[in-house]
Amino acid sequence: MSDSTLVTTDEASKALVFKPKPPRPAPPSTVGVAGWMRANLFSSVPNTLLTILGAYLVYSFFSMLINWALINAVWEADNRRECLDLVGRSGACWPGVVEWLPNLIYGLYPKDQVWRINFGFLALIAWAVPLWLPGVRSKVAIGLSAVLIYPFLASYFFMGGEKGVIWTLLIALGVTGFVWVWLTTITEMRYGLPFTRVMAGILGASGKPEEAQRSYGRASMGALFLISLIVVTQWELPEVQTRFWGGLFLTLVISGIGITFSLPAGVLLALGRRSKMPLISLLSTTFIELFRSVPLITILFMFNTMLPLFLPVDVEVNQLLRAIVAVCLFAAAYMAEVIRGGLQAIPKGQYEAADAMGLGYWQSITLIIMPQALKIMIPTIVGNFIGLFKDTTLVSIIGLFDLLSMSRAVGEDSRWLGLFIEPFFFITLIYFLFCFLMSQYSINLERRLAAGARR
Amino acid sequence: MAITESTSVRTSKPTSSFINNETVRSVFYQILTLACVLGLGWYLVSNTIENMSTRGMSAGFDFLDASAGFGISFTLIPYREGDSYFRVFQVGIANTLLVAAIGIVFATLIGLFVGLARMSSNWLIRTIARWYVEVLRNTPLLLQIIAWYFGVFTLLPRPRDSLGWGEMFFLNNRGFYFPAPVAGDGFGVTLAAFALALAGAAGLIWWARKRQEATGKHFPAISVGIAAVIALPLLVFLVSGRPLDWEIPALQGFNFRGGVNVPPSLAALILALSIYTSCFIAEIVRSGIQSVSHGQTEAARALGVKPSWTMRLIILPQALRVIIPPLISQYLNLTKNSSLAIAIGFPDLVSVWMNTSLNQSGRAIPIVAMTMAFYCIVSLTVSFAMNRYNQRILLKER
Repeated sequence: MSDSTLVTTDEASKALVFKPKPPRPAPPSTVGVAGWMRANLFSSVPNTLLTILGAYLVYSFFSMLINWALINAVWEADNRRECLDLVGRSGACWPGVVEWLPNLIYGLYPKDQVWRINFGFLALIAWAVPLWLPGVRSKVAIGLSAVLIYPFLASYFFMGGEKGVIWTLLIALGVTGFVWVWLTTITEMRYGLPFTRVMAGILGASGKPEEAQRSYGRASMGALFLISLIVVTQWELPEVQTRFWGGLFLTLVISGIGITFSLPAGVLLALGRRSKMPLISLLSTTFIELFRSVPLITILFMFNTMLPLFLPVDVEVNQLLRAIVAVCLFAAAYMAEVIRGGLQAIPKGQYEAADAMGLGYWQSITLIIMPQALKIMIPTIVGNFIGLFKDTTLVSIIGLFDLLSMSRAVGEDSRWLGLFIEPFFFITLIYFLFCFLMSQYSINLERRLAAGARR
Repeated sequence: MAITESTSVRTSKPTSSFINNETVRSVFYQILTLACVLGLGWYLVSNTIENMSTRGMSAGFDFLDASAGFGISFTLIPYREGDSYFRVFQVGIANTLLVAAIGIVFATLIGLFVGLARMSSNWLIRTIARWYVEVLRNTPLLLQIIAWYFGVFTLLPRPRDSLGWGEMFFLNNRGFYFPAPVAGDGFGVTLAAFALALAGAAGLIWWARKRQEATGKHFPAISVGIAAVIALPLLVFLVSGRPLDWEIPALQGFNFRGGVNVPPSLAALILALSIYTSCFIAEIVRSGIQSVSHGQTEAARALGVKPSWTMRLIILPQALRVIIPPLISQYLNLTKNSSLAIAIGFPDLVSVWMNTSLNQSGRAIPIVAMTMAFYCIVSLTVSFAMNRYNQRILLKER
């Protein structure tokens, strides 16, 4: 080539010719699948060994699980003996769980009344759906109504039976709330105005002053309430006593009430603990420390044995109510500490700025302090909710038939005697699903609310 | 205008009306609250007295001396069926503390291991650790305890076919058996040597720190101390002729005799408690170590601190500040959670005292009060110590 001819022709310049070293091999790829695997799985000899060990663990765990739960599992059998005869202990015996599925979910609720539970929970979902619809502006009101008014509606769905005057009014309020939520959602999505405004327009008050429009709106709400009152008086559901409640349904009822109660009560207790009034601060602190320092099970036991003693002789408190009271107070004490943490994280300048703006105590708390405190504590608050949801299993110890005790009952059924692992596995999935979704939602919420702080 | 007015009038009387006065309001609210609380208290107490008199119940503590008359399946301290109720209370406390102590040790070890695995540079190990934490943290502890008990320990083979390791450790449906140490004559000397070495090591560490602070000279007190604590008792033990025997469990008839027996309920309880708590500890360890910024490691290197010292002297002290408070509260949680023993029949405080004794004696109020008092004392003592520690390690700023 030309190079070689140059070298051979001009001997003198031989020493000066630039001769590149042979190129080094390209460095191992740091991008793509191979690069990622090299960096994260096989970066060194010990790391490779760890990867092999980990892969072995994962493989043996999942192969065991899949073999047991799917491949060797029995899907059709009449009793546990048949399952054992077919596969022994190497495969799961699912027919027992399938047969008990209604009980695991609804407890001993009468089978012909189960639609009421489904309907009650569907009503809650329907109530909450507008919160995620675009164009709906009264989200705060809808959310609050779901927390404050929905329970009245649900209580009649679940309990039924004789309703006194007050309960009738409350149920009617629940029905009104539900109808209002959807009417407002529709009018806001359609016309961008809340239902009461649209009603005032329809009634011919659109040109009239603000005050007149409001009174028309109020009148239409009153009419709605009257209609629901008439409906409710005509509406009768047979009574289902709380001792028939059970399964996932009961777990959701207890944790739902506990969660709903614990947040406002926790806020009040936390404010009380930080109050400048010594007596209020002392009382709140005593309550919080007392309930936080003892296990939930002792509180459940205490309320189970002592609540009947605390109340007048003729007042009967059913066991579910005792458990709910205990769970609520316990959860409130824990929530109070979480919220206090949030309050302490708010810089003093925020309080001072609120004072300087001339806001009173409750105004500065509700408008300035609490929104910030709750926002930064969202992960912890949701963590507390998850803890509460898991803690509801403790009511099984004082004799309520929640999801856990229902699953234990499967193995005590004479036909499925000793069938424990399968129902436990099944309800573990249920608990995990609920808790995991809650925690993922909180992470999502946290990220969305922190959007303002992101650079 | 307003300013001059208020400064001049301040000494005489407030300009605002009586109702808007902050002090008056605060006193009024507190009186109102006190009245509500006292009213509620009076209502509850009067109802209770009435209820108790109609049911013929008594609230006295006199039953504590009476014979309890029931057996307890597992006792750490000696107990016979005829012993008093107060003894039952003590047995319950001892059992609860036993579970808590063992659980804390295991939970810390597993939690530390998983927490470090969670930060591994190896993706697979990291992911396994993450899902270990996610799955176990998101399922109820009670379910885990019951699942371990009914799903594992009661399904183990009978003693005759028990699983054994080296003819010393046995696992069957009566529990876990391992050799028990039996102290012979003169073993006390070894124990004394151990205590002496421990005290000596503590003194050595204290002296080394003093000297380093005064002169800057380093002395490897920790390694020397550990060596002394191991070597001195061992030497005494060997010199005094190994006065320690192992009582090995052996199958006799239908059951094992000898050795230490951990009943299935205790084993299930400890396993479930430590695995459940280890998830929380793992997260605490991870967040603690990650809270120390990487700049600290780089700064240590820039100052020429040995890599082996960086972790111990730079990272760990700062991480511990973040780790210790939540760690202690997890220990407290574990202690409180040990009360779930009642679900599988392990006789802890709640089980023998708040359940069995309460049902048998009917003294609801004293029994509930004593149980609550025990847990309150434990919690408040620990949180008091915790607050002291927090104040000591608080960042000294400005």
